Amino acid sequence: MRGLLRNNFYATLAGAKAFVGIAVLLGIFVVAMDNVIPTLIISYALLVMIGFSLNSIASIRKESATKWAKYKMTAPVKRADIVKSFFVSQLLWLFVGTGFAAAAVASSVALHGFPFDRNTDLFMLFVVGIGISLFMGAFFIPLYFLGGEERSEVILVVSLLGGTGMLMGLTALINKLYPGEMTPRQIILSGIFIIACGAAAFALSCPVAAGVFRRKEY
Amino acid sequence: MENILELQKVTKSYPKSDFTLDEITFSLPYGSILGFVGENGAGKTTTINCILNTAAKDGGTVKLFGKEMGDGDTDIREKIGVVYDGDNFPGFWTAKQLSKVMAGLYQNWDEALFRNYLEKFQLPSKQKIRHYSKGMTMKLAIAAALSHHPELLILDEATSGLDPVMRDDMLDVFLEFVQEENHAILLSSHITSDLEKVADYIAFIHGGRLILTAAKDELIYQYAVLRCKESQFLTLDKEDILAYRKRDTQIDVLVADGGKARQKYKEVVADHASVDEIMLLLVKGERI
Repeated sequence: MRGLLRNNFYATLAGAKAFVGIAVLLGIFVVAMDNVIPTLIISYALLVMIGFSLNSIASIRKESATKWAKYKMTAPVKRADIVKSFFVSQLLWLFVGTGFAAAAVASSVALHGFPFDRNTDLFMLFVVGIGISLFMGAFFIPLYFLGGEERSEVILVVSLLGGTGMLMGLTALINKLYPGEMTPRQIILSGIFIIACGAAAFALSCPVAAGVFRRKEY
Repeated sequence: MENILELQKVTKSYPKSDFTLDEITFSLPYGSILGFVGENGAGKTTTINCILNTAAKDGGTVKLFGKEMGDGDTDIREKIGVVYDGDNFPGFWTAKQLSKVMAGLYQNWDEALFRNYLEKFQLPSKQKIRHYSKGMTMKLAIAAALSHHPELLILDEATSGLDPVMRDDMLDVFLEFVQEENHAILLSSHITSDLEKVADYIAFIHGGRLILTAAKDELIYQYAVLRCKESQFLTLDKEDILAYRKRDTQIDVLVADGGKARQKYKEVVADHASVDEIMLLLVKGERI
């Protein structure tokens, strides 16, 4: 697994370096700006959380340019571990993105005060970012193995839209369950429910992707 | 003699291309090199894919180290070094990064040995692989395949991008590798002169079928090509003819026993057959 994670890391590295540069510059700008209207900080947090994850899964297709994907299968690793490594890598990059978002939000709050109406809004911001990223990965990886590298761009778009759609769908469901104004406890429970759904989809997607990949031929 | 690799009636079909690997059977004894020869699309890579499980065979058995290899048999794959034709590794890596990945994949990865090969093959360790020439990428792949101390090397057109001098050096590396009794090499190649230099056995594949497997010495010293006129060709016994090919006024006839043919057909010129010529006659010639 160590070698597979290193492999995924190197595949992600060039894109991640560029994204870190953009995230740092943008972060400085967002933190420096007044946060009375929190749109900027919300957009930034979502961008880095989803962006790092997106870069991680998009890097999988880089292997298709060479025989490495085939070569890797001749190495002493199980096919299921190859698939698992992509999921673990995405999770690690999601942590990085979440770290960037947390640092920016914390800095903005420290400099300009709390920009949201309620504490739960901040919690829900991270729920949305993490939730979309998890659903996106859950869709992309099995679909990529199923559809092949030649369809990777459209699969990436579909996965991002699908992840966003799942979030919107779950939010609509929660709003239907709690038609009135929600209490902080209900909001937190709803957030946990969304994260749990995303995590379950992510966890279930791993054996599904491994099943598809087991039949893949090179 | 024990075999490190055994294929028994391996079949694989690709319905969309009408290509079928038809009951491929051969074995590779320990301490030897088997040259796997065939034209483009003959089925060499498909056979290697079936051996390495990168493609699922439809039927037959493949035994590596006496055992059929499943996905979970990582201990078997630990003992196999592989080189494919072309770009084996992502171009955005450096050789140094490749070493770090390989160290995480192979328990026996030998960093020092890999560095030695990089030096020996004059490969810069910090340059991105995409900036390597084709020959350099092949040398890197060979270095990587050897640096985890494999017992079996499976080389798919591994010498194709190398110049003659470097090819010769690589062949020496392969010969040194099989000095160990428990080592062996399956070497698929178009370059039949390479196989003549190093192979102990040669298997010819054509159109998905194995058309001949024999010891190289047997092919070179026993097989012969009779240069016949048409009238001489008509006097030959049909059972002596493996394949024949008309060339202007001459007909080249491949026979399995050159010595016997020289005695039997004294008026016909019988030349030693090169691997190249045998392949051409088997592939392009006609059978009776």
